[in-house]
Amino acid sequence: MIQEHAMKPRNLLKANSSLITIRTSLLSLLFAIVIGGAIIAAAGYSPLETYAAMFKGSLSSRKGIVLSLTQATPLIFTGLSFAIAYRVKLVNLGAEGQLYLGAMAAAVVGYYVQGLNQFSHVSITLLASATVGGLAGLFIGYLRIRFGAQEVITSIMLNEIIILFTSFLAAGPLKGQNSVTVQTERIASTAMLPVLAKQSQLTIAFILAIVIALLLAVLLNKTVVGYEMRVTGFSRRAAETGGIKVWKIYLLTIFISGAVAGLGGASQVMGVNRRFVEGFSASYGFSGISVAALAVYNPIAVVFSGIIFGILRAGAMTVSRTTSIPVEFVSVIQSLVVVFMAAPKLGLDVIALPKKLYGWIQQIRTRQTMRGGQAHE
Amino acid sequence: MSDVLNMVSIILISSLRMSIPMALTTVGAVYSVRSGISELGCEGMMIAGAFFGMLGSYMTQNVWFGLAWGLAAGVAISMVHGVLHISYRVNQTISGMSVNLLGIAIPPIIMQFLWKTKTLSPSVPSFKKVNLPLFSDIPFFGRILGEMNVLFYLMLIIVLLSWLFFSKTVFGLRMRMVGENPTVASTLGIPVKAYKYLGTALCGALSGMGGAYLSLGQMDLFVQGMTAGRGYIAMVINAFGRYNPIGALGGSIFFGFFDSLQIIFQDSFIPSAVMMMTPYVFTLIVLVFGLKNLKIPAGVGKHVDEQ
Repeated sequence: MIQEHAMKPRNLLKANSSLITIRTSLLSLLFAIVIGGAIIAAAGYSPLETYAAMFKGSLSSRKGIVLSLTQATPLIFTGLSFAIAYRVKLVNLGAEGQLYLGAMAAAVVGYYVQGLNQFSHVSITLLASATVGGLAGLFIGYLRIRFGAQEVITSIMLNEIIILFTSFLAAGPLKGQNSVTVQTERIASTAMLPVLAKQSQLTIAFILAIVIALLLAVLLNKTVVGYEMRVTGFSRRAAETGGIKVWKIYLLTIFISGAVAGLGGASQVMGVNRRFVEGFSASYGFSGISVAALAVYNPIAVVFSGIIFGILRAGAMTVSRTTSIPVEFVSVIQSLVVVFMAAPKLGLDVIALPKKLYGWIQQIRTRQTMRGGQAHE
Repeated sequence: MSDVLNMVSIILISSLRMSIPMALTTVGAVYSVRSGISELGCEGMMIAGAFFGMLGSYMTQNVWFGLAWGLAAGVAISMVHGVLHISYRVNQTISGMSVNLLGIAIPPIIMQFLWKTKTLSPSVPSFKKVNLPLFSDIPFFGRILGEMNVLFYLMLIIVLLSWLFFSKTVFGLRMRMVGENPTVASTLGIPVKAYKYLGTALCGALSGMGGAYLSLGQMDLFVQGMTAGRGYIAMVINAFGRYNPIGALGGSIFFGFFDSLQIIFQDSFIPSAVMMMTPYVFTLIVLVFGLKNLKIPAGVGKHVDEQ
């Protein structure tokens, strides 16, 4: 293995997109779905029928597919956010907060800026969300490089602070008139994203997510900065020795990561809710971890894994109407995917467990019979 | 004068109460870090403890069984972290986060099945305040102690025992050695993996207990999101207390004070959302400025090949 790498040093930095990793991803997903099936069975439903109903709900009709892609949109954004940060070995758990901040920025710019045409208004609003989300990320990066504060904890703390802050804004100064729940004023129609399918919430945000995934892939694989990012992620020490300014790479990456998460928030405000609603995120931020893990942190693959989880979510939404299986059921599958992606051998070992147990029992039996024989002698 | 005293006792009571789950979880985190494993899964373990503690109390109608369920659930979910990191050598950030994700994901499903609601459980038997006959007559402290339940005393005992474990027993010394340098520990014949599993399991048990305090001691039900990031805050308190059980207790009381501010200023002119931010802002400040010259056990996250 080592010799192979020594001969082709570029392989070390290449994104893992080989067939083996695709197989790992599919197997992990399969394991997670099977365990999810066990949970469905424990709840007293037939796993096969439930899964069939789920996929029928999310894939068989045009409406279902549109719903799946709508659900996939924020997941792709947060998945990209986590993936790009993890490529330099930064763990940005702050996507949830950056999402809320981006959403609030979109709600503010979408409502208070008036009199623009749709193109410029949408652009300005998206830009504001990305900037605000990126700045939140930058703050986490700054604390890391200036004070050495672990980004894992700072990002979580910032999440709580930001979510409380946006709730405070939506409940107080920015609260919409005549609204009972905690939400802001409806944004101007010029700030709303054009829809892709009639009478749906699927907007061009979905296209934007794919474009950003492509841009990030190009950035990572075809530019000098991307090369430096990959080196930093592979070995920080090697990067420093090679003269790469690691702190710059960290700051840039976490800015991008936050900006992408902020856009995810904007996509919900400008396309789905049309306003900032308290608690609008169905833990999209943390789901991004699973989406990125399933895609092995490859931006292009994130699009596909986001769509897969979107399909599962849309399916769970249809099923939850008729059974007592809640939508959160998908989060179990998501977290199991993280487990199995992290340890691909674990799934295989679990399968092999009965065989192993059988082997042990056999061994003990033979030992006992041997002992028995000795006793007779 | 009596007004001031009254205020002080209210602050002390709520600070101490808020410190109980933090201290339990943080002492758990001490075991984890000292045996060389990141304590990132504490949040998930706390949620599991809070939820299954409530569930146990609901099922058995006995609060002590509830506590036992919470403890067991904490241990069970901590093993996800343990198996992934110790046996499969997964990056401990990822394995810790998968515990947290599982902890968030599981309660709503079971609640939906049982009670057709995802956010709130019914009321269950919970811990009552303990009236110690001798102490309750002391004018100032008697009132404060009268507001505490049995878990407060249990927490103090656990902190003391943990301190004794780490500083006076050979097992504690070995565990610290595993955390500092697993290679040397392994060379000396110490079962490194066993100690790491033990540290993780104790972290799960105590975090589970800390979580169970929230649902059985502080309240008498489970609310989704009731841990509110306390597991992550425990990580900061742990570093703040220099990975020492006594330091963990001190840090927890300090934190408890900031957590209690939101209750004290509940009806004041400051918006509640701003007051609710204080524990997190405080944690950030500690994390950024309070951890100078910090020495993390050197072996955290390191593996060793055993025969």
